[in-house]
Amino acid sequence: MEVPCKTFVIPNELCRRAGLAGVWAPLNEVAVFPSHLVKAHNPDAPSPYGPSNASVYKVRQQVILFEPILRKLVNEANGTFLSVQELISNNVLDSKVELQKLSCQYRSIIRACLENLQDEAMRDKTNYKEELQNYITIFYSVECVWHLCEILFVENIPGGVVLPHLLEWIRFHFPKYERKAATLLAGDLVGIETHPDYWQTVIGSLMQGRIEVVRALLRLHSAGDSKPFKLVDQALKAMPTYNIYSGVSATEFNLKWKHWLVDTQSKIDAKLFISEKHLHLMMRLSVGEETAWNEVQSHCEAWYELLAAWLVFTEPTVKSFELGQFARRCIARMNVGLRMRHLDYVLLAAMEADIIQVIKEIQQMSENGWFVSHLTDLLYHAGRLVVLDNNPESHLVGSRLRECFLLDYGTLLMGHTSLWQVGLSYLDHCPTEGLKTIELLLPRLPLKSEARTQKIIREAHKRDLPQIIQSICKIQAMNSLKRGHLGNALTWGIKSQDGTFTSLLADKFLREYCKNGKLLNIDLLDSLGSSMLISDRLIFLGKYFEFHKEYRSRNYKESANLLISLLSSKLTPKYFWATLLDDTIPLLECNELIMSSLDTFTLLHCLQEKSDLPELQDKIELIRLGAARNLSRALMYEAQLVK
Amino acid sequence: MFEAQEINAEHKDLIHDVAYDFYGERMATCSSDQYVKVWDQTSDGKWNLTSSWKAHSGSVWKVTWAHPEFGQVLATCSFDRTAAVWEELVGETPGPGERGTRHWVRRTNLVDSRTSVTDVKFGPRTQGLQLATCSADGIIRIYEAPDVMNLSQWTLQHEIQCKLSCSCLSWNPSLSKNHPLMLAVGSDDNNPSNGGKIFIYEYSDNIRRWMKTETISSVTEAVHDISFSPNLGRSFHLLAVATKDLRILSLSPIADNANVQSGLYKLDIQTAAQFDDHGCMVWRVCWNITGTILASSGDDGCVRMFKMNCINAWKPVAVLKGDGSHVANEGHRSSVCSAASLPTPPVAAVVSQTARYIKLGTISQSREVPWH
Repeated sequence: MEVPCKTFVIPNELCRRAGLAGVWAPLNEVAVFPSHLVKAHNPDAPSPYGPSNASVYKVRQQVILFEPILRKLVNEANGTFLSVQELISNNVLDSKVELQKLSCQYRSIIRACLENLQDEAMRDKTNYKEELQNYITIFYSVECVWHLCEILFVENIPGGVVLPHLLEWIRFHFPKYERKAATLLAGDLVGIETHPDYWQTVIGSLMQGRIEVVRALLRLHSAGDSKPFKLVDQALKAMPTYNIYSGVSATEFNLKWKHWLVDTQSKIDAKLFISEKHLHLMMRLSVGEETAWNEVQSHCEAWYELLAAWLVFTEPTVKSFELGQFARRCIARMNVGLRMRHLDYVLLAAMEADIIQVIKEIQQMSENGWFVSHLTDLLYHAGRLVVLDNNPESHLVGSRLRECFLLDYGTLLMGHTSLWQVGLSYLDHCPTEGLKTIELLLPRLPLKSEARTQKIIREAHKRDLPQIIQSICKIQAMNSLKRGHLGNALTWGIKSQDGTFTSLLADKFLREYCKNGKLLNIDLLDSLGSSMLISDRLIFLGKYFEFHKEYRSRNYKESANLLISLLSSKLTPKYFWATLLDDTIPLLECNELIMSSLDTFTLLHCLQEKSDLPELQDKIELIRLGAARNLSRALMYEAQLVK
Repeated sequence: MFEAQEINAEHKDLIHDVAYDFYGERMATCSSDQYVKVWDQTSDGKWNLTSSWKAHSGSVWKVTWAHPEFGQVLATCSFDRTAAVWEELVGETPGPGERGTRHWVRRTNLVDSRTSVTDVKFGPRTQGLQLATCSADGIIRIYEAPDVMNLSQWTLQHEIQCKLSCSCLSWNPSLSKNHPLMLAVGSDDNNPSNGGKIFIYEYSDNIRRWMKTETISSVTEAVHDISFSPNLGRSFHLLAVATKDLRILSLSPIADNANVQSGLYKLDIQTAAQFDDHGCMVWRVCWNITGTILASSGDDGCVRMFKMNCINAWKPVAVLKGDGSHVANEGHRSSVCSAASLPTPPVAAVVSQTARYIKLGTISQSREVPWH
């Protein structure tokens, strides 16, 4: 889809003189700064632009959706979007009807938002009011286009008889006559015709096809019993309306319609209404008299208002696919072809059933893609984008088009501190690139608090992205470590399931013990359990802690067993041998015999192997002596046992 | 449609590089004034200078952040022939700032180069802490910190002779069984007769060496910047090239053509897009996180953005341009430079507690007119 390319100005003189360079900042921002190319071979000299006040400009798209007042729109539309996805995945039989209901739901969300905006705009007295008015304009257009698209592309209109729906659309968006009629009827009924709006309301209602209202208003006219009024009432009453369910075929209706036209025309020709110029005009309008329509068309605010009115009296059986030509005729008639606003182009494209053009145009509606992504998704599921796939000339594919918009919209929301989860739900429904996009964006969300981090991890877990969870845990561990929170770091390290990394953290504990003789975070070490299995170093740390625990509770036998198994485990880090061997002394020197001869041999074997360690030198004799004494005790004891 | 926040960078000369950390919450800048500065964003969106130090004894060309898994680590490269790795230390006691007292220490100075080090980039995070540098004399160096807890030890793992003066390098961020480690290096050699100016190197696990798999012959003009796009699961790679124009190249491994010895595939290289919108030399390219929008800077003084549309074609979407003359007209100046010593009315002082954004004016509303 084409997006127009605009030039934006960075209000800075140095940026103009030196030129700009730009880099992307996560997530959706660009930083620009004054810079220019310096070739590596040039001598390193101060630039001609310095000394200067160089500024960095962080440029971002203005996102109106992030305004608090529009937050409800974003969240509620997300709910409906998810309902649409669920409906489609459930393969419901008459999904068309359900889709239309959901389309209505979208519209009622827009309506609620508009009402909210209007209330706020009424209340607001600050500069923000202008902004609110701007939003109202935007979302009014959105509502208007959505409604028409719903009629033309989502709703299943039997026989393509579009006029009743079109009238409903026009009545909804041009409610002025209905309101006026209501005021008139609620006011003083005597001499109602003296009200300045009376005739305007009557004719306006007629043009919107509200025949009953017209008749009611005419009856209240003080001359309502006079002949011309009676005749008009009869004519309007007799006017046939086309209804697919009435059992009348189109040909039959046309016959009736022609008959009514001839009848009414003959009354006009007989100058039966000439005494009442307004009635005369109304009747001439009813038979589609060009000069009469020329008189009233200036009252129409928009060409599509005229279109609906014109169709009521000239083409009551118009089919959806014929709308385009009549629309163009109305535009020509009102001579607004050169004054078409953006909304006009969109509506015209919709009437011409040019869905691609509609989608192209609504991208420009400056509501940051809310409209285009939701509508395109709906149209795609309503099977309206299949035309694209069948057109060999365009490279557009319906599903791709839908996904592109959802990706953009989801990415946009991911950039917001509290809407990122909403953003995720859109990316989830992008079958080809959604998950990869999540993989790129999710880890970039700042880990501002523990709760938020857990939330991000849960979302990664839901989508089966273990590598992201691992990375987040490692980052948290590193952050804790740098702040000196070793216990926290280890907890995150274990969560990361990264063996090498956890080993590095376990090392920190062991080295700390070597240095200070203190094991940190014993609660954590006590509860390691099976989680220690992810790294050898952590197993060693865990087992070494258990040794300490047993020793402190005077379970010397148990602690000796642990120590011996550590000695023979081949898990001991080099820097820890001295500490570990040193730990045997109290056990060897204990009053009762704790280490068996076999244990002592293991110890002596290790001692021999590590005898070159410099930090062991001042202790080795002591340990040897203790071992020798223990060995003699143990051998004697064991010899007694054998007897 | 766009709004901007001004951060007075307080450098005494032009800024050569701005780098954001993984989350976009920290910003590092470097300049010809030989300083590196680190900025932190407060919770209400304002940017505060938290560190500033003289990092080199020459212009600092590039600054780049390591992945946060390795802590708060920066690398810089300079005209002074060195590259350096910096780590931030957080004080034990919480200081006045939001994150406590902190300062940056030089962990290592990589002094192997005999000429200006023109680019420095950390490798993909899954490969541990690797750093690639390239220099004006055409040598690419790959360093590694074997112990990520000790960043003062770096070993020079590989040295690759490139023959032509190197100006820029880029790691391919997409790594998988099918994609070995890949580096692209660009040369700003001016002589077209020296052939292609972009070289693709890949690491062969089989022989544990970096091999040149490709010289991109379609680009013979000087190359000033290159950048691999983040990969959204495509089978091919996209490389943005800043040369006399802007190029986007696609590199697809040719499946049944692996080198017996190295196990590396030949690449099929196509030009996916070529833009002359700058109308002159392009010298900087940068992808957004998802690789959907490319920003380029050129000698026309503009930053231009190109977006991939849904039929996978690239289209220009926006242009940013500096113009001081608009400042006075729009009357934003006083509100923008809160750092300047202009007398600020008390109301503005209250407002300036939070980040200020100015709306950017547009020059042309070229709805119908195509950009040329």
